[in-house]
Amino acid sequence: MPLVSILMMCLLGIGIAMFRRSPQAFLDGPAEDMPTRLLRWAACLLSRQRHDWGQAMLGELGHLDGRIRRLRFTLGCLIAVLLLPPWGRAAAGVWAMIAVAVGSVGLYASVAIRYGLGAGDWVAAAILVVFLAGYLLAASALLRRPGVAIPGLLGGLFVALAWLAMKGFTFYGVIGTIPTMREKLVLVIGVPLAVGAAGTLRSRDPVIGRRVARLAAISAGLGLYFYATLAVAVLGAGGPPADTGWTVRYIISDRLGTNLVDLLLTTLVTATVGWAGAAAARLRPSSPAPALPGPVIPAASPDPRQEA
Amino acid sequence: MQRNRPPSAQTIRVLRALAADPARWRYGYDLATEVRLKSGSLYPILVRLADRGLLDTSWEPGPASRPPRHLYRLTPAGREFAAALTAARAGRTVPHPHGRWSEA
Repeated sequence: MPLVSILMMCLLGIGIAMFRRSPQAFLDGPAEDMPTRLLRWAACLLSRQRHDWGQAMLGELGHLDGRIRRLRFTLGCLIAVLLLPPWGRAAAGVWAMIAVAVGSVGLYASVAIRYGLGAGDWVAAAILVVFLAGYLLAASALLRRPGVAIPGLLGGLFVALAWLAMKGFTFYGVIGTIPTMREKLVLVIGVPLAVGAAGTLRSRDPVIGRRVARLAAISAGLGLYFYATLAVAVLGAGGPPADTGWTVRYIISDRLGTNLVDLLLTTLVTATVGWAGAAAARLRPSSPAPALPGPVIPAASPDPRQEA
Repeated sequence: MQRNRPPSAQTIRVLRALAADPARWRYGYDLATEVRLKSGSLYPILVRLADRGLLDTSWEPGPASRPPRHLYRLTPAGREFAAALTAARAGRTVPHPHGRWSEA
């Protein structure tokens, strides 16, 4: 029941966030088609010096007809945008997260092989890989936003340390500790609220605060998942006693499954409550972000194709 | 350590397509179709060529309801490089322009 309540609250929070972002679009539906919206979002990830290239892609898309053709062009551009340097400091953060994600999958696979887990656990592993890929994609987007990387990663560290502190920094505690109601309130409400609020207060911009909260949620989720999987790999079926009658294989499978659910819940709750904290800490109505310059088209120049 | 990699086969295809009619401005999508590259491969190549001063870019104002469109053609340096590339491939050596291909 608490799980359903948390999920409902998160969905409600996401709905409110979408409404606040653009009430008209929320009520009437998007004004542009999906490829244009996707490419417009992707173009924002480019560094300032590459801004013109994002506009170039959007301009080209604006002259393409046919849904499939536009979608294929957009997906190609999306890959180009995500890989196009310069990444600056964001590259270090992305590589660190990739290392944690790959390490987690490796640990999961090693445990599954060692204890001869069944097909269901390998299906869960495939789901895990899909989720982690999504996490990395979202993190790579957030890390490239100005003013988000360092506060977001520090926020994630803070969230992860708070959870680990509650569990006593031990593998036994990670598997066996059930937080009290007071601890839950601190971890699920207090800490994410503080991270989101700190993000807004530091940048004086609730938009950045919300991004900080999201990056903190992703990095904390990844870090905690790695630690919990490591705990299963080290303790195996040992550690806190399980229910009577459970086989070793079942205990391991149960612990790995619990870790996966915790990964999703921790991230979702931290991001949602952190978003609320960022919004609540808004000191003043957000001023619109300085607009990036559009493509410079000389007014008097003839059609460039006729120059030659 | 500075790497000085030769241009990739895809980059050479793009250079050749642009060098076929060097004075003509080209659209990105048309160029991608001509050299059979996906947009995800073409744009990083165009960015690198522009960073190295081999590609000239311009904007074409769009019709009322459409956005401006980016146009591309080789700079004089790009034409020289494409010509040198063709000559060098005949002699089985690939010329290196001024900097690194990987730096863009």
